[in-house]
Amino acid sequence: MRCGTLHSAAYDDMPYTRGGAVDRTEVGALVRSAVDGDAAAWKALVEGMSPLVWSVVRAHRLSDADGHEVYQTVWFRFAQHLGRIREPDKAGSWLASTARHECLKVLRSLTRLTLTDDPRVLDRASDDRTPEESLIDSEEAADRAERLRRLWQELDGMGERCRQLLRVLVASPPPSYGEISAALGIAVGSIGPLRQRCLRRLRARMDARGAA
Amino acid sequence: MNDDHRFPEPGATDQELTDSLLEEELRQAAAVLDPVPDDLLQLALDAYALHDLDARIAELTFDSLVDALPVRGVPDAPRMLTFSAGEVTVDVEVTEDGLIGQVLPPQSARIEVLGGPQTARPVTADTLGRFTSDTPPAGPFALRLRTGAEVIVTEWLRA
Repeated sequence: MRCGTLHSAAYDDMPYTRGGAVDRTEVGALVRSAVDGDAAAWKALVEGMSPLVWSVVRAHRLSDADGHEVYQTVWFRFAQHLGRIREPDKAGSWLASTARHECLKVLRSLTRLTLTDDPRVLDRASDDRTPEESLIDSEEAADRAERLRRLWQELDGMGERCRQLLRVLVASPPPSYGEISAALGIAVGSIGPLRQRCLRRLRARMDARGAA
Repeated sequence: MNDDHRFPEPGATDQELTDSLLEEELRQAAAVLDPVPDDLLQLALDAYALHDLDARIAELTFDSLVDALPVRGVPDAPRMLTFSAGEVTVDVEVTEDGLIGQVLPPQSARIEVLGGPQTARPVTADTLGRFTSDTPPAGPFALRLRTGAEVIVTEWLRA
């Protein structure tokens, strides 16, 4: 899918868009280089894997404050364990799994769960535009941006299983099924069929919305 | 990425192609509408400074949040944590008022509370390894212990 307007100047240098900094096959090599003191390798790891970690945090619908702390905890612990990770090639799964467990701990520690009806999620997609969002909101990109916002809102309204799967699935660069499995605690074999079902359900929601 | 078939091969059905296109649209939406906040990205970059091969890691072996049965009628029970590095154990209790802890076997240690790559705050410890901090950790924290011979750092944890 090419969409020139979205790939305008502000996003050309996003390190984690498709074809971004980290090819998953290089993860193990980057980890080993980082262990040996290569700061550029660490930077590539952070930039390449942060969207995955973030997607896990967001999939669990933590508050901003909790989510930020989980994200930091995951990266602090990853840095701490860097030279001791048994399977460097699977660092993505390590990060995803650590993020998941920290998210579950947060949810467990909350006396009052605010899993749904979180107005901020919708606000983020409608009213509280970041400067970056405003930038793409130029005339020629308006339709495109509007469709993406609708998609995001429809995703937010889906059931937990689909919402979580799709949020992690669409991290950039695309996570492997092993990483998604670690992020959500679901079997690798169930991801393909679930993905298909959820994408089709989302499309149906979009169609229904268009018809309304 | 070779464990999935998300991206259509030649000959893929229209349905699969449509699925993949929608997934790509969602990926764009995620990148534009819900990106990793810049300040978090920077914190993760800075976290490289926490990479320290000389320190031993004390792993979390007990967390009351996960391992303890909830106590009826005690809504705000303090969080109890145990970290272990070989024969050395650190028990920590996190309360609203701060930290209380004990190094076992009892021994004198210099102890700091880390709050990130640039934040280290010494805590008072006695010769038996009992320590207190009257500042509750704000966000992720780790304890760094310097005993006679070695440096031990507890696993990073969100209080």
